Amino acid sequence: MPDRAVADRTVEIPPDAWGRRSAVAPVMPWVFALVVVLLLLGRFVLTPVLTAPALQTWATVFVAICVQALPFLVFGVLLSAAITAFVPPSFWTRALPRHPYVAVPVAGAAGAVLPGCECASVPVASGLMARGVTPAAALAFLLSSPAINPVVVVATAVAFPQQPLMVVSRFCASLAVAVLVGWVWLRFGRSGWLRVPSRPPASGSSWVAFRDAMRHDLLHAGGFLVVGGLTAATLNVVVPRTWLSSVADVPVLSVVVLGLLAVLLSICSEADAFVAASLTAFSPTAKLAFLVVGPMVDLKLIALQAGTFGRSFAIRFVPVTFLLGIVTSIAVGEVLL
Amino acid sequence: MNRMSQSLILVLLGGAVLRVTVLSTTYVNYVKPGFRPFLIAAGAVVLVLGVVGLVQEWRKPHVTETVPAQGDEDTESGSTHAAAGDHGHHHGHDHSRVSRVAWLLCLPVFAIFLIAPPPLGAFAARSEEAPPPPPALPADAYVPLAADRATSMELGEFIGRAWGDSRHSLAGKKVTLTGFVVRSSKKDRWYVTRMQMSCCAADAIALKVAVLDAERPPDDTWVEVTGTWVAPKTDKIPNGTVAPELAATEVAEIPQPFEPYE
Repeated sequence: MPDRAVADRTVEIPPDAWGRRSAVAPVMPWVFALVVVLLLLGRFVLTPVLTAPALQTWATVFVAICVQALPFLVFGVLLSAAITAFVPPSFWTRALPRHPYVAVPVAGAAGAVLPGCECASVPVASGLMARGVTPAAALAFLLSSPAINPVVVVATAVAFPQQPLMVVSRFCASLAVAVLVGWVWLRFGRSGWLRVPSRPPASGSSWVAFRDAMRHDLLHAGGFLVVGGLTAATLNVVVPRTWLSSVADVPVLSVVVLGLLAVLLSICSEADAFVAASLTAFSPTAKLAFLVVGPMVDLKLIALQAGTFGRSFAIRFVPVTFLLGIVTSIAVGEVLL
Repeated sequence: MNRMSQSLILVLLGGAVLRVTVLSTTYVNYVKPGFRPFLIAAGAVVLVLGVVGLVQEWRKPHVTETVPAQGDEDTESGSTHAAAGDHGHHHGHDHSRVSRVAWLLCLPVFAIFLIAPPPLGAFAARSEEAPPPPPALPADAYVPLAADRATSMELGEFIGRAWGDSRHSLAGKKVTLTGFVVRSSKKDRWYVTRMQMSCCAADAIALKVAVLDAERPPDDTWVEVTGTWVAPKTDKIPNGTVAPELAATEVAEIPQPFEPYE
């Protein structure tokens, strides 16, 4: 049946597509010009009307999340497309240990070299999987790279000038969670849950493949980033932070609450240390949980992961990561903080 | 979504980012000023990607004659999906086909052009909550203030001196604070406020100082307030519960500063 379907497509589609193209091409430039004119006109007509303070505050936070994430997304997509187009699959089989249980910690530690936040790591991990890297190893890289890279380590040190151990704890706990989740996935994960993005070898030059991969990943991941940005901005404006201070003194609950706050706020991993430092009412362990969970699980990341690897992946991967993040933070906090 | 729409969205998105970074300085409402080069680079990459796609698409009628195999890539009609019979499988595989979620990228573009979001103001800082205590600094980090004239300082420094300075360097000294006006539920005061941002507006925290003895200008007016610190009457109230207070001698309205955040 699938064979026939494919055969039907090849027979039917080309004339249809030619017809569409000739109809579409002359119209599109005019539609485009119209949209641009409407946007410029709308600025004079609508902007004076759309001034409700709540709407403006929401829009500022929403645009800020999108604008702030875009350079990292573009960087991650560039890197991912470069991996797909220019690095041969044989490189990864040689670079990573053959045994998957050993490959997971190696890939997790390799996360320390990619400077970027979580928006960059999803497309890169998907590019790695497409190039034949064991999914569990790519997932360990996905989780560790936004939390333990040099930029984030320095930002954490700046935000906690009096507590150098916070930096050490964050590094150790994040790496531990990444490796544990990778191993759990290796042991219990099924390949059917994860949609590994297969990249068929492109027919054209590698530059064409590079451009196509970039365009696809940017639009796809960007769309899901907007979903996350919409949710995070709404919660940011609607939920008052005063609700938090009431639980700050309860031992385990406060850790879980800050973990959940990290999920809801979806702050970039390069900035979350400053926010954690401002939550002065909470214990260091609770702040550590905020720093460990934030780069691994948050709303925009869940949207990105569900979009890239499939929904059946996200509903299993996200709770496991969150749970291990909380447990590891409590354990590391007990020992180091 | 066909290639033409994909390219259009990329052009709009790249254009909007360049609009707030190159053609204006609105980007300081959303991110740190130092972020500008990265934003310009990202916007340029997105724009170029879109323009290249558009140019290719306009040229295509001539190209398809020679490479007809390209033709079946960018159809996304319902009938094709039904014929393929495997809806989810094709999403995200074929590079020329992108799921409809990409249309959402128009939302930030519309927000930038139509709402033109201003910097966070009195609405974001409306809660009566006091600012979080700043990180403790060693006592010698606070240099003594001039006695004969008013010293301009950031709200963060004022709060740090009010709460974290054991030598009370603020006592009796005139200072000038810059911020916007936020009303208070108490009758005798209003707040001069500045948002403190570490990365983007989503992580901004309101720094507030209560202004006493002065008529309240309308919310969101930018002002320079000159006055002296009012030491708390008891030291039983822990830092971070009530905003520090300033007895104002002069309030001057000013235009919004270039960097709205601290």
